[in-house]
Amino acid sequence: MISKLLLPNRFKMIGWCILIPAAILGIALTIKPLYTIPLPEIHAKVFAIIADQILGPTTYFGFTDVELTNTIAGVLFIIGALLVSFSKQKREDEFIANLRLSSLLWAVLANYILLLLTFVFVYGDSFLTVMEYSMFTVLIIFIIRFNYILYRSSKTASDEK
Amino acid sequence: MKNNIRVERAIKDITQEELAKQVLVSRQTINAMEANKYVPSTVLALKIARYFNKQVEEIFLLEDSD
Repeated sequence: MISKLLLPNRFKMIGWCILIPAAILGIALTIKPLYTIPLPEIHAKVFAIIADQILGPTTYFGFTDVELTNTIAGVLFIIGALLVSFSKQKREDEFIANLRLSSLLWAVLANYILLLLTFVFVYGDSFLTVMEYSMFTVLIIFIIRFNYILYRSSKTASDEK
Repeated sequence: MKNNIRVERAIKDITQEELAKQVLVSRQTINAMEANKYVPSTVLALKIARYFNKQVEEIFLLEDSD
């Protein structure tokens, strides 16, 4: 039933190939102000539903000039993470379906507990950074938890007959 | 629920991987069942019993906590 929503296994590898560079780009963008990492800036005129500037008019359904590196990193990260998360395992069976669901539950819960803590204990500009990260953490926590349990299950399997 | 898949497997002298192939699941599933971390569906329990030529109750047993 649930497997109808999953992509074939080959998309998992494609997902990793998108996710890893996007993650590296994302990390580089985060620490760029601290270490002056030379990153290309991509300026383009793009369509926006809403685009507001700090000092300037707000555009609705119009074209606006933006720097695209952040957008590209974010979009690629989400696409990669979705492909990794929602592609079938080589042998997708009931235990793995079960593990997938429990990992999703776990990820949503862990994410909101973290978000709740940061809501209470983080203020100011740093909170914006927290919000930025929380866009990605559900998928990150899911991928880590799902693959960790799967790895643990196959590890104990290999050292016994 | 507990099971004696591991014992049956030892009697037949097959690996987790071989049993997994026979009943069309992943090796992790067999491992999780043997570790009592996963309760299989009725379909899978029946398949495993059929593979070992046993009744389901001979392989899968209820525990007091069930």
